[in-house]
Amino acid sequence: MTQLKPKTIKAIRYSRPTIDRGYANQTLSIDLSKPDISIKPVSDKMKEIFVGGKGFDLWLLWNAVSGKTKWDDPENAVCIASGPMGGTPGFPGSGKSIVTTISPTTGSVMDSNVGGYFGPYLKFSGFDALEVVGKRSEDTVVIIDGIDQQIEILEMPGLPDDSYELSAVLTDFFAGGKKQSISVVSTGPGARHTLIGCLNFTWYDVKRKRTRYKQAGRGGIGTVFAHKGIRAIVARWDSVTTSTNSPADKESLITVSRAYSQEMRELDPKQNEMARVGTTHLVPIMNDFDLLPTHNFRYGQHPGANIIGRETFQHLFDPGFDGCWRGCTVACSHGVKDFVPMTGPYKGQRVFVDGPEYETIAGCGSNIGVFDPFTILEMNFYCDAYGLDTISVGTGIAFVMECFELGLITTSHTGGMELNFGNRLNALELLHQMASGEGFGTVVGQGIRRMKQIFEKEYGANGALMKDVGMESKGLEFSEYMTKESLAQQGGYGIALKGPQHDEAWLIFLDMVYNYMPTFDQKAEALHWFPMFRTWFGLCGLCKLPWNDIVPADNKETAEPAKVMKHVQWYADYFGAVTGKEVTPDDLIKMSETVYNFQRIFNLRMGYGRREHDSLPYRAMGPVTGEEYESREERYDKQLTEKYGVDITGKATEEKVAVLRKFRERQYEELKDAVYERRGWNKDGIPSEETVKRLGIDFPEVLEVLRDSAVGS
Amino acid sequence: MITIGDSEVFWHEGMTVSDLLADIDDDRFYAVVRLNGKLVSRPNFDTTLVPDNAEVILIPMVAGG
Repeated sequence: MTQLKPKTIKAIRYSRPTIDRGYANQTLSIDLSKPDISIKPVSDKMKEIFVGGKGFDLWLLWNAVSGKTKWDDPENAVCIASGPMGGTPGFPGSGKSIVTTISPTTGSVMDSNVGGYFGPYLKFSGFDALEVVGKRSEDTVVIIDGIDQQIEILEMPGLPDDSYELSAVLTDFFAGGKKQSISVVSTGPGARHTLIGCLNFTWYDVKRKRTRYKQAGRGGIGTVFAHKGIRAIVARWDSVTTSTNSPADKESLITVSRAYSQEMRELDPKQNEMARVGTTHLVPIMNDFDLLPTHNFRYGQHPGANIIGRETFQHLFDPGFDGCWRGCTVACSHGVKDFVPMTGPYKGQRVFVDGPEYETIAGCGSNIGVFDPFTILEMNFYCDAYGLDTISVGTGIAFVMECFELGLITTSHTGGMELNFGNRLNALELLHQMASGEGFGTVVGQGIRRMKQIFEKEYGANGALMKDVGMESKGLEFSEYMTKESLAQQGGYGIALKGPQHDEAWLIFLDMVYNYMPTFDQKAEALHWFPMFRTWFGLCGLCKLPWNDIVPADNKETAEPAKVMKHVQWYADYFGAVTGKEVTPDDLIKMSETVYNFQRIFNLRMGYGRREHDSLPYRAMGPVTGEEYESREERYDKQLTEKYGVDITGKATEEKVAVLRKFRERQYEELKDAVYERRGWNKDGIPSEETVKRLGIDFPEVLEVLRDSAVGS
Repeated sequence: MITIGDSEVFWHEGMTVSDLLADIDDDRFYAVVRLNGKLVSRPNFDTTLVPDNAEVILIPMVAGG
């Protein structure tokens, strides 16, 4: 590679503030168009209402955009934040960043939670959050140097195109001899040529001597980043200790951190073994419960699933410590070294694959009919290197494959490619086309919502059928769980603020397996508490995995085992130890409820956020086709007769599909009613004025949005 | 004898995972168990035999992803 010669476009020196009880108390604003770099104070009120992390991001984004802003307008902001506990070493899962923007696929607010060192390094460099607006040429790099107390917007021609090499080159360039002091946020060519681009967040793995990365995958955040002309944002920071975050009560922090870490160390090897196998243990379990999406969510089970899960990847993963933040004892970010791709620009070369996780295995494996771990690894590697979201890629290709098998599209549309389920080489070819902006890949890279429009208008495909089997809601592709038999999880996906991603609620086992919530009111209560508590992690710079993927041995004896209240109390203690504010578990829920409702109203401001936008494709609720029905005929027949009292004697399969559909669609609408009421929303899914007053977000501009939507007085 | 965490349970011929959990009256909250290192899910509890001297770990699955 040619020697890099950065040209400074704008630079400022600044005086780094002392971190105070988890906060830097200022945010950083980069305007690429002007260009300008400015620093804004964080008020006590901003901390009180928005807490940090996603809350700060949303407030910055709200102030940057209007209700008319489109994803590719210069005023759209990419916001990145840590949170008050972010950057604490030793408390499991304390290195997360959260990213928000106006999404190219949903047109509304998108958020994505990601590991890597960037968020903590940003905060320790003096900024609780970063907002980037404007646009520049395609060679822009922003360096936030907390050690030298300098921020620069640079033009850097000659950088590698893909994120895999780019991250490594920039780590080398800015490290000053200490590579672990660097974290890079970047994307690749796939983000430029599609609407489903992701961001890669790095950390330097000292033992393996390489740059590692995690992804802020959902909703095309990488695409917004790329269209701003940014190649990368780099944070540089020095050493980190428990004192770096200046906790209010260091002794209490050490006590709770030790207790939690010790529990993870003791129990993870006895439970899911995430420190050894990551989330790959979920593959065979989901398959056993008929929950692993196969063939575009038609079915939840496949005989090939056992070779793409834990049993295989425990042998493929490179052993060693794999925490995406320092001192995390869950340490689930595994990878495969010396993998040799069989296609694409890295064909025949040894590469390191960061992953796969469960979502990638299900999305780029079972859901597209591929039961070959090496193809999944190759899809994983190229999605990351190209800057593409493995979930949207997997779910998108699954939709395309079903359309192909149904004859809705043909080789005349795909550029000659046969795209039956299981065609792994053409799935990879599609991925390379998405990255290069060529061929049918340019269509697939638009995401499912736009594909449905293109297939119907330009190819004459059956729009009603595609509406049923195109697995997107709000414009976001589904993450990889079957929801047909769990009404609560249908709500967990359908009512989720950004679209069907399981980070808000994962209630399948509690609902379907344990039957903890048989009534609508119980489901609604779960769809209040769980999304609120899960939201809280994103406010604080935390990962949710330690909370309930590893549970205390005596958890089953507690009053509400699903909530894992021992850990919830530890999180309340943790918050108090860092910020100095004594809080209860109920206070944590209130913090989230405030931000959650604000985000719902933000959706409303962008033209969404109503009942009609909480809709689901029917395949998420039940069998679309006779073939699907007949594959689980005993189950569905039993439900029709015993649950709904239908006499199915003499009824053809198609009739039974139609009758079941009526019941299931109706119960989903009833669920929405129950959830809206529990959350203090009206029948149209809009928070009431009373709710926003109770939560303290009754700012004039919020009330104006509600009044424009005919809510309130 | 079967080891479950800190407890021990008598083994009998033909014992399945379902039998074992019924014996210990503790099957309310477990969707998965690890039987001699291998994961066994609830749909397979009735058909999976537990060998004598097996080591069993009960896994309370409340999360996924």
